[in-house]
Amino acid sequence: MAEPYLVVEHLTKVYERGHVVALKDVSFEVQKGEFLVIIGLSGSGKSTLLRCINRLIEPTKGRIFIDGVEITRLSPRQMRRFRRKIGMIFQHFNLIKRATVMTNVLTGRLGYNPTWKTLLGLFPRSDRELALRNLERVGLLEKAYVRADELSGGQQQRVGIARALMQQPELLLADEPVSALDPATSHSVMQYIEQMNREDGVTVLASLHFLSLARRYGTRIIALKDGELVFDGAPEEIDDRKFKEIYGEEAEEVEIR
Amino acid sequence: MTIYSTFKTDPARLRRRLLALLLDWMSWGYVAYGVMYFLNDYWWRIPLERFYTTLTLPPWGWPAAVLGTLAMAILCELTGYSLGERALKLEVKEERPLTKEEFLMGRAAGKPFWRTQWGVMAVLLLALTVALGWHIVKIDLEALFRPSRRAREMLGEIFPPDFRYFLVPDPAFELRGVPYSILNLMVITVFMALLATVLGAAVALPLSFFGARNIMGFSPVGWLVYGVVRGFFNVFRSIETMLWAVVFAIWIRWGSPLAGIMALTIHTIAALGKLYSEQVEGIDPGPVEAVVAAGGSRLEVIRYAVLPQVVPSFWAFTLYRWDINVRMSTVIALVGGGGIGDMLFYYKNEGEWALLGAVVATIVAVVWAMDYLSGRLRERIV
Repeated sequence: MAEPYLVVEHLTKVYERGHVVALKDVSFEVQKGEFLVIIGLSGSGKSTLLRCINRLIEPTKGRIFIDGVEITRLSPRQMRRFRRKIGMIFQHFNLIKRATVMTNVLTGRLGYNPTWKTLLGLFPRSDRELALRNLERVGLLEKAYVRADELSGGQQQRVGIARALMQQPELLLADEPVSALDPATSHSVMQYIEQMNREDGVTVLASLHFLSLARRYGTRIIALKDGELVFDGAPEEIDDRKFKEIYGEEAEEVEIR
Repeated sequence: MTIYSTFKTDPARLRRRLLALLLDWMSWGYVAYGVMYFLNDYWWRIPLERFYTTLTLPPWGWPAAVLGTLAMAILCELTGYSLGERALKLEVKEERPLTKEEFLMGRAAGKPFWRTQWGVMAVLLLALTVALGWHIVKIDLEALFRPSRRAREMLGEIFPPDFRYFLVPDPAFELRGVPYSILNLMVITVFMALLATVLGAAVALPLSFFGARNIMGFSPVGWLVYGVVRGFFNVFRSIETMLWAVVFAIWIRWGSPLAGIMALTIHTIAALGKLYSEQVEGIDPGPVEAVVAAGGSRLEVIRYAVLPQVVPSFWAFTLYRWDINVRMSTVIALVGGGGIGDMLFYYKNEGEWALLGAVVATIVAVVWAMDYLSGRLRERIV
């Protein structure tokens, strides 16, 4: 097998106040082009894990390699440059609500432009063209100059995807991208992410609540429970016993179609 | 009772319990002070051996007061649910399980506060404070309704106001260098307020980010800058505009509008800075996260994630401050800050009631107009 794209080694995160251990010695590898789904209960450490990978949260212990670079050793400045390659989308979209869709999408380009220019709101013509192309791709071209808070939830998440696309990422971190959306919209959003994975060859790490979604879109699944890695394997391998192990005895699988 | 059962268990809870006791002790001490004050207040009105005297404590008075209040506090603690316990949210659980009827009637939420011991105590303390305050400042309602000849004269002369110097400068102020007509000074006053607001907001805006916890981060340098900026805001804000005007009137020149502008500006910076930075601290962190994840620098975070969220409230606060500054600038001349107040207080001292009336009428009109204007602007922006 080729050199893995992402390597996480003995990752531990302890929150300083109250000594809450969010991640306990988590290790796994991801190949380039994989669609890795992270499942687990709320509070099992999914968000923390994703945020450690682009160091929005500083890991307490352990090492993370992306494409052979040990990102846990990068200086804040180097990390900022490295983040260009890592797109992220969020559960609550994290758009600038009072700004236009166009401005929101262009923020995905901040890492590529000098600060003095972006502070004045100056983006190169090529960036603006790319923004329109990406908006067209997620089907929101006609909404380009509408304020972000006027869009529906599904549309807002598609803006989030367009913003991530602007970074021309190699890796996409999706933190519960559809848990604030209804089932039909969820699939449309997931399909855009799948398209990124298949057509642009972006490696995807997505945390999902519904196992059915995980089975449908993931090429591989890892499961966290109380900050520990309890499963790592193909979607088909999760049977009833495994499911109860991950989600607890009382859990009942819910389908989302 | 409850206090003994917690002695062994939890040191943190014990500490809070002692603190609650201290609070109770202090409030009983306050009651004792009130009682002594009232005794004293009435005592000297009673002729004692044909002369008035004040009440003095006997030598055992102080220890008695200290121990007496402590005893009362401990009694409060022991019988449960004292004011101190309530303030520290030390819940004392009810021993007996509720009956179905009590649960149905909402008794689970606890007794209504006026029937609990702490509630009675709180009401008592409030009543004592009002009564005590009334006596301490010696409120004399009679004086408010006593007919005053001087006031009647003054009111009689104010109407109709004399607008003689509205456009023409008053020769009484010949030495001031600026023509002292009401209109001219009013213009100066409005611009004082405007300049102070604009300058103050311009300085407060960048400073406010240094005084916001979520922007400064948690490095030692971040804490230091945050502390210094917040300290500056708090100290300079607690010194009233009028006091700043005293300082600047001496520093620059008595009656110079610049002194007024400086005083207003300094206070505006501190007051707006604090309001701004609290707004910055209250933003939704989501967009910040998104901009950081896209590789944005700290400045880009401010420009793209923070500013869009705070701009409307920044405008609202600035306009609100502009209201305050307009009103303040009309009286700042009392301490040498310049502006229309210079005329106001001169006429007041000279007893030129008719001229004073004209000045007051102009101030009222202008302040009202500015209030209306800023109110409309605020509606449009927010």
